[in-house]
Amino acid sequence: MSMPVIETIKLKKVYNPDKIPVVAIDSVDLTIEQGEFTAIVGPSGCGKTTLLNLIGGLDVPTEGSVKVADTQIGQLREAQLTDFRLKHIGFVFQSYNLIPVLTARENVEFIMLLQNSDKKEREGRSAELMEKMGMKEAMDRRPAELSGGQQQRVAVARALASRPKFILADEPTANLDSKSTESLLDIMSRMNQEENATFIFSTHDHRVIDKARRVITLEDGKITSDERR
Amino acid sequence: MVMGAIIVGVWALIFLFSFLNSFNEAYLRNAINYEYSHIQVHHRSYLTEPDVKFSITDKEKMISALSSNSMVQAYSARQLVSGMIASSKANSGVMIYGVSPADEAQVTALDQQLVEGDYFAEIKRNPVLISKKTADKLKIGLRSKVVLTFQNIEGEITSGAFRVTGIFDSKSPKINESVIYVRQSDISRLVGFEGVNEIAILASQLREIPQIEEDLRREFGEVTIRRYNIVAPEFDLLEQQSTVSKQMLTTIIMLALLFGIINTMLMAVLERTKEIGMLRSVGMQKLRVFGMIIWETLLLSLVAAPVGLMMGFVTNLYFGERGMDLSRYAESLKEYGYDSIYYPSLDNSAYYILMLVVVVTALIGAIYPAWKAIQLNPLEAIRKL
Ligand SMILES: Nc1ncnc2c1ncn2[C@@H]1O[C@H](COP(=O)(O)OP(=O)(O)OP(=O)(O)O)[C@@H](O)[C@H]1O
Ligand SMILES: [Mg+2]
Repeated sequence: MSMPVIETIKLKKVYNPDKIPVVAIDSVDLTIEQGEFTAIVGPSGCGKTTLLNLIGGLDVPTEGSVKVADTQIGQLREAQLTDFRLKHIGFVFQSYNLIPVLTARENVEFIMLLQNSDKKEREGRSAELMEKMGMKEAMDRRPAELSGGQQQRVAVARALASRPKFILADEPTANLDSKSTESLLDIMSRMNQEENATFIFSTHDHRVIDKARRVITLEDGKITSDERR
Repeated sequence: MVMGAIIVGVWALIFLFSFLNSFNEAYLRNAINYEYSHIQVHHRSYLTEPDVKFSITDKEKMISALSSNSMVQAYSARQLVSGMIASSKANSGVMIYGVSPADEAQVTALDQQLVEGDYFAEIKRNPVLISKKTADKLKIGLRSKVVLTFQNIEGEITSGAFRVTGIFDSKSPKINESVIYVRQSDISRLVGFEGVNEIAILASQLREIPQIEEDLRREFGEVTIRRYNIVAPEFDLLEQQSTVSKQMLTTIIMLALLFGIINTMLMAVLERTKEIGMLRSVGMQKLRVFGMIIWETLLLSLVAAPVGLMMGFVTNLYFGERGMDLSRYAESLKEYGYDSIYYPSLDNSAYYILMLVVVVTALIGAIYPAWKAIQLNPLEAIRKL
């Protein structure tokens, strides 16, 4: 029943190859299945962000390949890759996920507009997601009028909008207090079940790690442990 | 900030344009009303050889044609004699205009330009009207006696004693400089010839000028008929000059605006590095980001330009009604035949053109910032998140 959505083969990333080379990711073979709820953990500088960027098609590997569903994303041209990200990958960043001049709901609708969804679909889906995120009351507020936790929930809704193949979240809770962290993780976990959305997130936070159903540990760019719970 | 610059720029342009317009219009109006009239008719040879003997042959017929033409507002037939005016202290070369006082008043409002004396009111013999300037030059005043010297029709030097009965101050510098007015009957008696060298015509409407000319040309072949801008090429020159000035003004202000727009939009792009990086990361195409910046700039100009236009319009309305008093600087202006109070005005089409120019400027100004926006590396941008 489960099938791989991401497959990396001998993935390697070297920064500054000409000056002082930094090997950020080293020969990573990783397979992520549809419906996983995976945490990437490890000490600062171990390569978590780099790995997520490579998987998300934001950065190009020095060696190796990334296959998303049936697509070798290394073979896409820039515009195609941009379009691929738009349609198949959801992103949640640590902060500054939202367009400040748009309301919470408009932020979700905006990405669907880029995805060419029609008006009815946009309105229906954004309302549904706002409801699921527990943001129904606050959906007409602008980001500046929302708490950090609420902003991250809108970001998750935005990432889910097009039902992407997977959602990448690089330290989504880094700027949140413990209560907001817990509620964001609960919502992500619920979306993982209700929408069968695949989540891959990086974190330092033990409470976040505890909620993951698969934990991949990186050290110096290499996978040192990979446990499923 | 850009909005403010656009508003002020547009407003300033409208103001300057309108002012320039009214300035030129006033100058042209004065030149027409006090000097050239709309149409001038001369004997064919008079223009190349200004001699009193080249008078309009069909003058009776022409005058009756003019007085029955409803498009003609007024006309004045003049006998032109070049000569000398002398007081006991000094003398000066002048053009003696022998006019029929009532007609001349209709055409050049000479009667209203008197600063002293009266307008051929006394029936006494040989009255002459001289300008303030000539009076000063000859060191004479009202009721002074002067001697006019000129050639009669036989070519002999003749003189006549005249008395200054009025002193005028025309808005035409040329007339102030060298023209004096006498009754035609007085001068033709002395010249020994009753002829008309020039007929100045005022049309009721500017657009009727060509028709009047055509009517005259059809009936009178032996004369030269010239419109004001041919009599005085400076009219066309002024027109051209004002067009050039306007283009220069527009260019300068739009250039300033252009740099203002580039600068602010560039800052806006830089401030929004993170937002743009995020948008590129989640899948917004470069072209779309480019379009977004262009569109935002355009929107700014579309909001700001009409505000500037409105302000300009209102300013024109205000000064158009009240007039703009430049009398503080008017002394020197008057020397050149300009007025001291202006009523700025602007064609409606100018507002549209200005709007277009602003929008185009905004578009051009947006290109570089938009290009910069898509050059941003999204990875670099989100690393700073
Ligand atoms: N643009 C870059 N140029 C050079 N070196 C880089 C660059 N980005 C990351 N690195 C280096 O690559 C290594 C991995 O960095 P990365 O950001 O992936 O780590 P991380 O696990 O996300 O760390 P953190 O927990 O602090 O976010 C680090 O040694 C970092 O200094
Ligand atoms: Mg990181």
